[in-house]
Amino acid sequence: MRVHKNKILIIEDDTGIIRFLKSCLAENGYDVITASNGQSAMGIIHSHCPDLILLDLGLPDMDGNDIIRSVRTWTKVPVVVISARSTEDDKAQALDLGADDYLTKPFGTIELLARIRTALRHTRTTAEDDQIALQGVYTVGELNIDYRKHIVTRGGVNVSLTPNEFRIVALLGRHAGQVITYKYMLRELWGPGASSDNKILRVHMASIRRKIEPDPDQPRYIFTEIGVGYRMASDED
Amino acid sequence: MIYMKFFSLLKRSLQWFFPATHVRSSRMHDLLLFFCVFAMALAVSIPLSTLFDDNNPFSMAVFILVVALIARYTDGYLYGVAASILSVLCVNYIFTYPYWAFNMSLMGYPLNFAAMLIVSLIISTLTTQNKRQAQLQLEIEKEKTRANLLQAVSHDIRTPLTSIIGSSSVLLEHEQLPAEERHELLSSIHRDAQWLSRLTENILSITKVSSEHVTLKKDTEVLEEIMGSAITKFRKLHPEIEITVHKPEEILLVPMDATLIEQVILNLMDNAAIHGGHTSRISLQVEQLPYAVRISISDNGGGFSEESIPHLFDGSAPPGSHSDAKRSMGIGLSVCRTIIKAHGGGIHACNTPSGASVFFTLPVQEE
Repeated sequence: MRVHKNKILIIEDDTGIIRFLKSCLAENGYDVITASNGQSAMGIIHSHCPDLILLDLGLPDMDGNDIIRSVRTWTKVPVVVISARSTEDDKAQALDLGADDYLTKPFGTIELLARIRTALRHTRTTAEDDQIALQGVYTVGELNIDYRKHIVTRGGVNVSLTPNEFRIVALLGRHAGQVITYKYMLRELWGPGASSDNKILRVHMASIRRKIEPDPDQPRYIFTEIGVGYRMASDED
Repeated sequence: MIYMKFFSLLKRSLQWFFPATHVRSSRMHDLLLFFCVFAMALAVSIPLSTLFDDNNPFSMAVFILVVALIARYTDGYLYGVAASILSVLCVNYIFTYPYWAFNMSLMGYPLNFAAMLIVSLIISTLTTQNKRQAQLQLEIEKEKTRANLLQAVSHDIRTPLTSIIGSSSVLLEHEQLPAEERHELLSSIHRDAQWLSRLTENILSITKVSSEHVTLKKDTEVLEEIMGSAITKFRKLHPEIEITVHKPEEILLVPMDATLIEQVILNLMDNAAIHGGHTSRISLQVEQLPYAVRISISDNGGGFSEESIPHLFDGSAPPGSHSDAKRSMGIGLSVCRTIIKAHGGGIHACNTPSGASVFFTLPVQEE
């Protein structure tokens, strides 16, 4: 039986990077198509329907953010941004526009492949094989989030989160492996009218870490993306 | 110090009353000073004037002092000149006969006015000149640091580049190399490229801090979160090194540019790991001081050579002064100093009985 290969579109204008991405992805069992500018990329997205898009934000003919914007109007195909722009605002902007993940150049192949697998899994999971939907739990390492009983346990012991803390952990668990921006979290947790001050979120997080992390100074379950947001560990970590 | 405290208090109370005022901080400071000095002068002079029946000659002296003070402690000429005009009017209106009325025919009135104006102009000019001089000095200082830094950077770039170019050309020219040797060359290329990548990160931070128009993106951050993030990154680079953290129980909120402070912590840890020679353990300690937090990063490595300590942070460490002279530690540490200085803190290094220690402080109260 022929295994379905995931098709990845690389939108990037640097030939060196295209070459290395191509051989790395092909080596790991993906079909690869490339586009070196925004115009042709838009065409390819429509005609080939790739399973995932690797997008460089600095394209010769348009801003990569515009591609995210226009792609998000009609498809949920995962978009992983690879960019040399490294400020937190750039990251947060791309993620808030609907990108699934953000890798700053230079990045290693191991990290890239992990992020690609995470992004693919999140769009692929149907109700049947989604652990959360099926059993109402998310498990990573010794950590266990029980969405039905609203409790979080580590090594079988209830860590007694407050209701707000549980909602934060639950939200991150639902998007495990992906960076969730402060903005998104505030909106999801406290509604669209929530203030944009994320200090309260971070104080909650400090308290959550004291409860769920074996060593809060060297987090294993919730990672901080400084200036952007948080990421819950997945099996890839 | 008391003076600064006083004004920050005033400013805060004013902002509390008028939350919508988004006046630039120095403007606000000048305006407040202007009114405060005037109010104080009036508070002293009016009761005094009731004691005497004459033309209150002391009032002239008091208001000359007012003009001098305002001209000295505000920016530019505006407040000084305004103060001199207002002072002359005040003296005329309140303190000279007829009281609480203007009398433009008063003897020597133009002289008074001229004297006040000249006092304010002279002092304003001197103050402005002084400030310009200090600015110039600062520019020169900055230029010097920049030159040192550039030197350190080009040294730091050249070494790994040489190795990358060398290794890759060997690989290109000799296709029949044994697998083991190929692997060694390739991994050295990989290692050096990663080194360059971290160097770029440092150069970027420097440009963030030292370019004129970019100000720090200061936010109140949870300190342990930033440290945790730095430690996570460090573990990826040096998984073999044991890390211990000592910190106060409570959650510390510190105003800072988080990415830059993370960079400082990462640099210092990286430095301890690479340059300590045989570092196997790094400990981070957080202490709460009255108006600041102090973060120390200590290792159990070989320590600094005594003669290098004074030069550690200015990018001019004499080559060969350290156990690993190939990779100068210039840029990493001078980046740290630049960042910490921009935050209004300090950074110092010393040797401990077990190795080396670098500690830096960050002020806790917002300006």
